[in-house]
Amino acid sequence: MRKSMRTPTHVATVVGLLAAGIVSVAAPAVAAPADKYLHVKVDDRANSGTVNVNVPLPLAEAILPAINNPELHDGKVSLHDAQMHGVDVRAILEALRNAPDNEFVTVRNKESDVRVAKSNGNIVVHVTDKNDPRQRVNVTVPIAVANAFFANAKNNQLDVEAALRALSDAGDVLLVTVQGPGQKVRVWVDSRSTQD
Amino acid sequence: MIVLGKIVLGMAGLGLAGAGVLCSEGLVEVHVVENEPLGHHIRIDAPAILAPIAVRLAPSRDLAQAACAIQPYMPAIRAGLAGLRDSGDVVLVEVNQPGKHVQVSKLGRAIVVDVGDAGETVHLSVPLRAISNTIEELAATSSDTVLQKGT
Repeated sequence: MRKSMRTPTHVATVVGLLAAGIVSVAAPAVAAPADKYLHVKVDDRANSGTVNVNVPLPLAEAILPAINNPELHDGKVSLHDAQMHGVDVRAILEALRNAPDNEFVTVRNKESDVRVAKSNGNIVVHVTDKNDPRQRVNVTVPIAVANAFFANAKNNQLDVEAALRALSDAGDVLLVTVQGPGQKVRVWVDSRSTQD
Repeated sequence: MIVLGKIVLGMAGLGLAGAGVLCSEGLVEVHVVENEPLGHHIRIDAPAILAPIAVRLAPSRDLAQAACAIQPYMPAIRAGLAGLRDSGDVVLVEVNQPGKHVQVSKLGRAIVVDVGDAGETVHLSVPLRAISNTIEELAATSSDTVLQKGT
């Protein structure tokens, strides 16, 4: 009788310990999403060599609100009216968010081709230098990030802190590539701490 | 004989405890290697706890300018150091030029700087806690200086 009372207790203890072990191993993987890193790679081997910068986004998010000067305050950058050129960026972003994927702006002149499009939830800008087709600039900004710049900011402000948070929540994204003869610049966000 | 043994044990214990306190904040490591035949190889491993103590003991008038200059940046520095403590190991900056290499990384609980060129390689490792305590001590010097001027 005593033996039969003990057995369920032992089984329950073993099962409990196993469950606790599984939860303790699995919980961090489920609960804590990996930190995102902002990477910058400047490759100018012909002249100045290479520069690689890797910044954990939570680190940038922590530092930004602590910087207070006339231009950057509470994680928000102040813009002068002249920099906005009277453009209602909020209205443009709202229109873009509701629009289907499309190429919205195409500018072709003697010097360059510029294309602005919406693609898979991103605003994409391509610039190609016609005099030297090796010189190209590609910029990709997730619309959620672009919205975050303006969502809680005043008219003449950019909310950089909110944009960083939105960038953390967005998937891996190649933000900027600049290519020139012998030079390359890449800015991207992913979950890896290295650039390998 | 037994008394002597107790004294030796006590002193050894004191020495161990002292070493433990000294190393409680880790070590500042400085390694310099000259890349040439018969070049110097310098290695200094100093207790990191000495850095804030050195700032505290230094004459405040000599640190006043640096202490005042650092004040506006203290909130950002505090936030940055706290963020670094929480982040994983990462190479923060890496610069490669012909014949030169600079790398600044966060490794464990320390900031590690490696600089190498044709002449020498330098390795510096400073625990984050020591950086934090030293900067706080420096910032406190500024308020001490202001108080002294006030009186």
